[in-house]
Amino acid sequence: MKIAALGIDVGSTTVKMAGVNASGEMIWNHLEQVAPRVEKQVDSFLNKLKEEINSLAGIPLVATGYGRNLVHQAVKNVTEITCHAKGVYHQLGHGGTLVDIGGQDSKVIVIGAQGQVVDFAMNDKCAAGTGRFLENSAARMQVSIDEMGSVALSATEEVTISSTCTVFAESEIISMVAHGVAVEPILMGLHRSLIKRVVAMVRSVGLVPPLLLSGGVVKNPAIRKVIEEETKEQVFLPEHPQLMGAYGAALLALKVKQK
Amino acid sequence: MNMTIPPRKEVITDIKNHGGLVAAVLPIHYSRALLRAFSIYPVEVWGPPKVDVSLGGAHLQAYICSIVHNGLSFLKMGGLNIADLILIPHTCDSLQGLTSVLIDLIQPEQVIIPLYLPRGQREEDVAFLVDEFRSLYTRFSDLTGKHPTSKDLLTAIKREEMSDLLLTKLYKNRQQVGLSNIDFYRLVRSREYLPAEHFSTLAEKTLQAATEPRPGIPIILSGILPEPMEVLTMIDKMSGLIVADDLACCGRRLYAPGTSPDPFRRMAERIVYAPPDPTRGNSIEERLKYLTEMAQNSGAQGVIFYEVKFCEPELFDLPSLRAGLKEQGLASIIIEVDINNSLPRQVATRIGAFLEMLDS
Ligand code: SF4
Repeated sequence: MKIAALGIDVGSTTVKMAGVNASGEMIWNHLEQVAPRVEKQVDSFLNKLKEEINSLAGIPLVATGYGRNLVHQAVKNVTEITCHAKGVYHQLGHGGTLVDIGGQDSKVIVIGAQGQVVDFAMNDKCAAGTGRFLENSAARMQVSIDEMGSVALSATEEVTISSTCTVFAESEIISMVAHGVAVEPILMGLHRSLIKRVVAMVRSVGLVPPLLLSGGVVKNPAIRKVIEEETKEQVFLPEHPQLMGAYGAALLALKVKQK
Repeated sequence: MNMTIPPRKEVITDIKNHGGLVAAVLPIHYSRALLRAFSIYPVEVWGPPKVDVSLGGAHLQAYICSIVHNGLSFLKMGGLNIADLILIPHTCDSLQGLTSVLIDLIQPEQVIIPLYLPRGQREEDVAFLVDEFRSLYTRFSDLTGKHPTSKDLLTAIKREEMSDLLLTKLYKNRQQVGLSNIDFYRLVRSREYLPAEHFSTLAEKTLQAATEPRPGIPIILSGILPEPMEVLTMIDKMSGLIVADDLACCGRRLYAPGTSPDPFRRMAERIVYAPPDPTRGNSIEERLKYLTEMAQNSGAQGVIFYEVKFCEPELFDLPSLRAGLKEQGLASIIIEVDINNSLPRQVATRIGAFLEMLDS
């Protein structure tokens, strides 16, 4: 394994790292839940990798994500908008409108034909429209986060969750459960509520097809189905949707090296 | 370059020690010359940021902007005690509301003087403002016992015009004077409290320094004011270069010198024909044209609309303005802030991503 450059994405829920070879292919990756002491976590990440490949000398690291400034080993800090666009474009080979639904924020990035960011919008002010919205609601209904997509898709009907606010949605769910509504239709309604919020953001920048998805939340099959229904667009996913920020950062690190 | 700007407190103490009166002036447009002709020194109150807003909050709705919330809180905590009068231009509904709250409910010791501003650039708008200035003249005469002549008024006007010309020159040469974004705005914003003659000296000194243009990603900053000022350091660090601005406290007050021999008309014209401003009723088309030309002349690649949350006059225009700029190939982004909070990390990500986008 010949890692030429590294990227690290310090997100709000997970820390992701990707290593690329000289041709920009992802040949190594690692993902962990984010620890309270990010600096220490990054040190131990890099130590583990060093044990695997003997030396990190001459391998540049670019950091992204909300904790990017805490990565003192990085040669450069780049925002997650640029990194996600870079990663997805490189992996899929074309531009479009990228929807990234992360644990604590979501973003819409219009990627041009050359892979450049043309426009973007971010929801970073509240949990509505993010993974946290689903996580909270899943916990309330005692469904595991990994299962909630398939449970939602097994619903034969759907209820409307009118609140996009995480706190109000939770009270709405409690009231529905108290009135005997089954878990499946509630979950389906929750997915739709989240996606409607995301689609509003897509409309604010203007959808340029194809629609691309990234972020940990898009592993959930109900998310993919509902977003296709709401936008009437087929969605495309990279192979590792959760690692696109780290991958993009690694590609930028490779560029630094080649300069 | 090394530049010492006297702090606001020091300037106010100096004015008082020399027998001058101080007017606390709220945003945005008024005539400094009219006040100065009566030896009243304007000290502007744009917030200020980071005060305990619970004091003002008791009288205002939650959806009123932080400039007004902070202004009222600052007054209630005694921050304006040094002022002899408070001048409140009717810039927007929120400031108009503040005037009523002060006059009807709070009734501070200082006299509250509203200034009604026209919403247009027609002859009748000039005439309206001339009348307003004439009635302000009477109020200031009653307050001070002074009756400045037309000649006195013109002297005061010319002093302000000179200072504004130097300000405009600073804007034109901003890349050559060797100031970072933050230092440039520290200097420009000292006009908010420095007497014109002091500001002119500072500006002249700064203009003497000629350096190579600074490198950076060229952008325009639009909005009300660059507060919290950390945003400017942040833009500096991210290699952003503010090459022009459409800020209410700065670039929208680059008043051109007047021509009329009548002092009241001259003061009115300067404000009515100032750069476009939504609070003075300029249309979106006028603002769009102005911003597009500004970008062309300065080489700016994008516009950051840096807005105070709940600022109606600003926020109403933004969707159409941004769409118009997009058609002209100019990217833009909206950042909304509460001047009372420190900058959240999301703002850094948004501005960073925007600059990276322009740079790619
Ligand atoms: S920020 Fe906007 S709403 Fe507030 S005082 Fe200024 S113009 Fe009025």
